Amino acid sequence: MSPHLVSQLSVGGATLVLLAGLMMLWRRGVEAHIKAFTAQSVALAATTAMVGWFAGDWQLWAVAALLLLIKGIGIPILLQRMARRFGTERELEPYVNTATSLLVGGLLVLLAYVVTKPLVSVSQLPTRTGMPLAMGLVFVSLFVIISRKKALTQVLGFLMLENGIALLAVLGAHGIPIIVEIGVFLDVLLGFIVMQVFVYQIHETFESIDVEQLNRLRE
Amino acid sequence: MSPWLLGPVQASVALLLAPGLVGAVRWMKARLQNRRGSPPWQPYLELRKLFAKEVVVSNNASWLFRAAPFIVFGSTVAVTLLVPLLAVPLPFDGAGDLVVVVYLLLLGTFFLALAGLDPGSSFGGMGASREMTVAALAEPTMALAIFALAWGAGSTNLGQIAFRTLATPSEALAPGHLLAFAAIFVVTLAETGRLPVDNPATHLELTMIHEAMVLEYSGRYLALLEWAAALKLLIFFTLLGNLFVPWGVAVTLTPGALLWAVFTLALKLGALGGAVALVETHIAKLRLFRVPELLSASFILALLAVTASFLL
Amino acid sequence: MRALFLLLVAGYASGAAAALVLGTGALARWASALGAIAGASAGLALAAGACVWGAAFSLDAPDLLGVVGGMAFRLDALGAVFLALTSLVAAPSALYGAGYSRAWDGRPALRQVGFMLNAFLLTMSLVPLADGTLTFLLLWEGMSLSSYFLVMTDADKPEVVSAGQWYLAMTQMGFACLLGAFLLLQSGGPGSFADLRAAADALAPGTRDMVFALALIGFGSKAGLIPLHVWLPRAHPAAPSHVSALMSGAMIKMGIYGLLRVGLDLLGGGPAWWGGLVLALGAVSALLGVLYALMEHDLKSLLAYHSVENIGLITIGMGAGLLFASLEMPAAAALALVAALYHTVNHAVFKGLLFLGAGAVLHATGTRDMNRMGGLIRGMPWTAALFLVGSVAISGLPPLNGFVSEWLLFQSLLPGIGAPSPLVAVLMVLALGMLALTAGLCAACFVKAFGITFLAIPRSPEAEHAHEAAWSMRAGMVVLAGACVVLSVGAFKIVPRLTEVVAPLVGLPVPAPSFSVGWALQTPGGFARMSPTLVAAGLGLVVLAAWLAVKTFASRRPLRVGETWGCGRVVQTPRMEYTATAFAEPLRRIFAAFYRPSEDVSIDFHPDSRYFVQSISYHSAIVPWFERYLYAPVIARVRRWSERVLALQSGSAHAYLTYLVAALVLLLGWLVVTGQR
Repeated sequence: MSPHLVSQLSVGGATLVLLAGLMMLWRRGVEAHIKAFTAQSVALAATTAMVGWFAGDWQLWAVAALLLLIKGIGIPILLQRMARRFGTERELEPYVNTATSLLVGGLLVLLAYVVTKPLVSVSQLPTRTGMPLAMGLVFVSLFVIISRKKALTQVLGFLMLENGIALLAVLGAHGIPIIVEIGVFLDVLLGFIVMQVFVYQIHETFESIDVEQLNRLRE
Repeated sequence: MSPWLLGPVQASVALLLAPGLVGAVRWMKARLQNRRGSPPWQPYLELRKLFAKEVVVSNNASWLFRAAPFIVFGSTVAVTLLVPLLAVPLPFDGAGDLVVVVYLLLLGTFFLALAGLDPGSSFGGMGASREMTVAALAEPTMALAIFALAWGAGSTNLGQIAFRTLATPSEALAPGHLLAFAAIFVVTLAETGRLPVDNPATHLELTMIHEAMVLEYSGRYLALLEWAAALKLLIFFTLLGNLFVPWGVAVTLTPGALLWAVFTLALKLGALGGAVALVETHIAKLRLFRVPELLSASFILALLAVTASFLL
Repeated sequence: MRALFLLLVAGYASGAAAALVLGTGALARWASALGAIAGASAGLALAAGACVWGAAFSLDAPDLLGVVGGMAFRLDALGAVFLALTSLVAAPSALYGAGYSRAWDGRPALRQVGFMLNAFLLTMSLVPLADGTLTFLLLWEGMSLSSYFLVMTDADKPEVVSAGQWYLAMTQMGFACLLGAFLLLQSGGPGSFADLRAAADALAPGTRDMVFALALIGFGSKAGLIPLHVWLPRAHPAAPSHVSALMSGAMIKMGIYGLLRVGLDLLGGGPAWWGGLVLALGAVSALLGVLYALMEHDLKSLLAYHSVENIGLITIGMGAGLLFASLEMPAAAALALVAALYHTVNHAVFKGLLFLGAGAVLHATGTRDMNRMGGLIRGMPWTAALFLVGSVAISGLPPLNGFVSEWLLFQSLLPGIGAPSPLVAVLMVLALGMLALTAGLCAACFVKAFGITFLAIPRSPEAEHAHEAAWSMRAGMVVLAGACVVLSVGAFKIVPRLTEVVAPLVGLPVPAPSFSVGWALQTPGGFARMSPTLVAAGLGLVVLAAWLAVKTFASRRPLRVGETWGCGRVVQTPRMEYTATAFAEPLRRIFAAFYRPSEDVSIDFHPDSRYFVQSISYHSAIVPWFERYLYAPVIARVRRWSERVLALQSGSAHAYLTYLVAALVLLLGWLVVTGQR
């Protein structure tokens, strides 16, 4: 596999991952958000596998399999269950309207490009070309977390942030040691379970998962 | 064959194929919706009928109403002279590039909108207002997509872009190219008045954009406008086909190469027409105020195309 | 050349004198107009001499106003371009004004208009020739003051007075900044431009930055860059139409000239942030200008906001040029500056045409409100056709001149993406997107402006009885429309001249690379080629061929005229057609987060029952951002300070005499103290 082909595939894979993230800004329903997250995890797994094949590193294959299992299948199933309970609430009026969110997302990608330029010029790996897009995903998921009102969407934003960091690690350094990777996965899983509990509690207290309602706790 | 003859040949081929393209898309859509549909050559019969019919003009309309169809038709035909329809060493390549193409199409839209306002009916005004809104919002996407293509090819001239892709086939699947293709596909849907932006088959005035502007036209004027709309669809499909997948385009001007070029062009038009028919069957029309969201999404695609093409 | 210069001065001076002396009738009108036309023609010849034939001209007059150091004039290529565009707009406007000023026949205002117009034209034509600080500043202030008096021609209307106040305040603020800039630039030395140029390298970087910043504020406020544009949409509608044409066409370009002169010529370029800031300001001005223009339904305010937009476009080119010059990309910088200069000339011509057309409409209907017009194409066919030419030109559509400069602007931004700094690349991409959006929105706005004003059914009795403009007004407009066509078709001749003008400013080697080859324009490195001449010819031929083909082959049945179909409605009334507000409504909703319109609906119910509605009243207003958040607080604060200072004005004569004596004593004391050292 020539380095040029690997570069192209890295950019392609990273673009698919980022586009799935931008879907979160565009579509409003929870179903669409979960589908976007699933697609993103699958794309991430595929990119990791591709890098694993190029680098000849079995650990990356293992990471790709884990990604597929946990984030591509496991977490979406849990999310579907949550969606069935609270999914009828669509993200109707986020703080920033859809068209503006998309434009801000684009600006964040440009910002990521500026910010990662020094990293890209220092690195020698052919996969470095996708790094700005991974960074862009990190920024976009942070934006999703701060600009959306429903707790479920914010949880998805956090999961996407994880994906973005994983992608950055894979493209920038051909992955991190498998022990660390497994540790991160467990962290994410645990964090997700905790967040699930919180979302249930919020719903119990306020009859809605609109995070704005938490303001009422002040009184 | 002399290269200067290529211009009129291209224009004639485009004029001949355009109504067939519209008919084919309509037929495919009908089949997908389990209807029999009118035959693919129906638009030719419609054009012949319209040219023979009487023309009724509103008593509120001015000379602009009667001149606009010629300007719209003329500017669209002028564009067919500039796109790589059949052969790549275009004789008029030095006269106009992709930016000229976009602005010539905008000229047609400008006069069509004015013609919509002229008879003084509210439908025309509504169509004109919506059409200009959609056209204005689609401009940034086109600019960035042009730029993404041009940067990779080293020129904004269309012949050059097609040539460069022919010369380096591996570039055709570059992420920048694919993203630019997606962006221009969305703009095609918006500019040619296809679902989900506008419904070309609607009879409900509130859902019209293009149809509302031509509501007052009849006879040969309407024929010219319908033909121009079909030509616009053909031009966008040609850009999508022959800039991104240029194989089949003639590099030499021999009759054999040109016939092969016509054949491959018809194939590409058919494939793209099928894609549009699929999209139209699958998606419902968007509310007018959801269209900017769609166009912002296409802008982001074009932006990613630009960053991807100079990331590599 | 000296003879032409003297003829220029003499022409305008005689026009001014004629206006004062010959009374308030047709003779005075025509004499002042002819004087202005003579002056303008001399100016055009002078500029052509400098630009086309390279004839040099300089004039030192140390005795003129010798007490302050005398005046100096010099015409170089850059100044010649601006002199040419001023004269190009001045002659048709003066011709137009001869017929238009009939509205003031028999009133002293006619004398004021005639005199001030010639004074305005004289000072404005001489600004690009100024070769010393003092000359420049004097002429600049003369230009501002004479235009102020022109704006105040109809001083009996309160909105005119308010417009004049805003205008005066902004020009004086700008002038103060310019004074500061030039003082810093001189740093105590003599004031001729040649000396300034030589001494500029020795200035500290901090001083250079300060000079540039002050110049940007001062010249930017004259040009109408956001956020210093607020005087434009007030002053332009208030002034008489041929004055608006001149202000929009020529005067705001003097801001551009000043920035080019100080930034590129005297200071010799600077760090990259200068170019980046100018580019960003330009992009923002362009987009915001067109967004505000879309919401206007006063025809002249709409045109004024479009001037803000076009100045933004010119500034984009200028900023890109400055940026590329600082990044050592002289060819790209030259292309950007050529685009900016070309757009400057083009805008002068088509904006002048549009304002003259708007003036004809105002003259015929007595109103500027588009919602009260309509159907004017029947009563005013010439004005309508010429306004259409202007609309197509300003929307940047082929085959007219606006398209050529838009194309050049696009192409000039593209090399920026290859620049080494990623920040520059990002800025260029954003500017490109904003440029494209601006172009699309401009076309939308002019469909509205032309369509609602001239097409369909008249919306008021005044529109129904509109009459065509006087022949002199039409002649002025025809000249400008012809210029639009010539500037487009002749692009391949004009671009090389402009490249020669720009080459010394960016350090291009001589002979400069030509941006045109044969009939086509070409960008550096062969990146793009386009021929406006061939596009125009091709378009014309194809339309003609289509018309002939339809005439020969299609049915020969005669055209029938009937009622508008409107899906089967029986009668069409003016109430049924689209209004200007309705046309812009989708865009108003889409950009609502930007406009923040306030909406107020009040419903009057029938006294007997709440189920019957007697009337519904809807009121919506848009207050521009800068006025609410920038100007209003500043003005409030200044007012509070003024009120405190008011305490000094007690009205008592004793108090004032005490102030005088105290000042005298203090001065004497200070002299004594310093004398003893």
